[in-house]
Amino acid sequence: MDAETAKGFLLPMTVAVAALGSGLGLGKAVGSAMEAMARQPEAAGKIQTGMIIGAAFIEALTIYALVAVILLK
Amino acid sequence: MIEKLSLFLNSIVQSMNEHATPVSDTLMEHNQHSGIIADTLKSLHDTAHAAAGHVVHGAGEAAHGAGHAPELPNWLELAKILFPGKLTDFLFAWHVVIFSAIVWLLLSFFCIIAYRKRSIYPGKLQNLIEWIVETLYNLIVGILGPSGVRYVPFLGTLFVYIFTMNVFGLFPGMFSSTSKLNTTLALAICVFCYVQFEGIRANGLKGYILHLAGSPKSVVEWCLVPLNLPLHIIGELAKPISLSLRLFGNISGEDMLLAIFAGLGIASLAFINPPNWLPGLPLQFPFIFLALLTSFVQALVFTLLSSIYFSLMTHHEEEHH
Repeated sequence: MDAETAKGFLLPMTVAVAALGSGLGLGKAVGSAMEAMARQPEAAGKIQTGMIIGAAFIEALTIYALVAVILLK
Repeated sequence: MIEKLSLFLNSIVQSMNEHATPVSDTLMEHNQHSGIIADTLKSLHDTAHAAAGHVVHGAGEAAHGAGHAPELPNWLELAKILFPGKLTDFLFAWHVVIFSAIVWLLLSFFCIIAYRKRSIYPGKLQNLIEWIVETLYNLIVGILGPSGVRYVPFLGTLFVYIFTMNVFGLFPGMFSSTSKLNTTLALAICVFCYVQFEGIRANGLKGYILHLAGSPKSVVEWCLVPLNLPLHIIGELAKPISLSLRLFGNISGEDMLLAIFAGLGIASLAFINPPNWLPGLPLQFPFIFLALLTSFVQALVFTLLSSIYFSLMTHHEEEHH
């Protein structure tokens, strides 16, 4: 296996692993936010804002992996 | 199983060969068991690239891991190909800036028209713009509190500008400037400078430095200042980087997805020699809705995070006094 082949296998795997982690994190965050919204519908707006910000932070990790892959390509 | 697959691929490649598409010569030379699939795939890929290459440049190289990312063509690029010359070269070299300038000219134009014709009984345009402004006002004041009214123009403009730039790339022949790092980094640096300026203005220079040092009160906290100060400075510097990389990654990823699927749609019909009015299948169509969603969410996230940075910088003072 030469370096290019190794890269071709590993670079997509990098994004896959990052996406797996942020998928788990996002599931937990959004799930909890939904539960909280169902319990307190009047606070839905505030919870949604917080959820979107948290989701952005979590999702950013995958984006970093993606950017790194694009740069290393 | 593998033999059948390779036979099938071979027949496709042969039919492609008959239809006047260049296929690499390496295919028929060494048909060993192990090499055949790789060769077939390579020639399939070559054919697809030759077909798609005119529309989506770089789509083929992306699979090889060389060259630049695939990108749908825009009008300036078309002009460069049709009328080669110094002017079109120059315009294409600046296409990121030109498309963002088109966006702000468009937005200014609409706002000026809506402002000129304002009345107590709002028309359609005035209603739309009032609704946008009110929604953004409520969103930002909801996060920053009543004292955040002064940041509404800046943050609201950020949202409208970024959203329009993101969506602009979905129009045929247009280009989203936010899919290049220089635009997003410029926006993020604007936010960074404004946040630091507001921090100094609200807390004073001494308060600002104390804030960076972790606002020490007790002896233990003063001892931790050498640890806290670099940590906070790095944290501040990381904010514009993460802001810009997030927007850039999302939008360029989305555009790349559209470009790759447009190329696939063209490659998928290449072997039947399609008529001119149907160069390929619109495989990218379902992803346009996904792109609309990402465009909106990313513009919202940029605005929300900027307002959070403002609130982190300025709310600090209220705890002190």
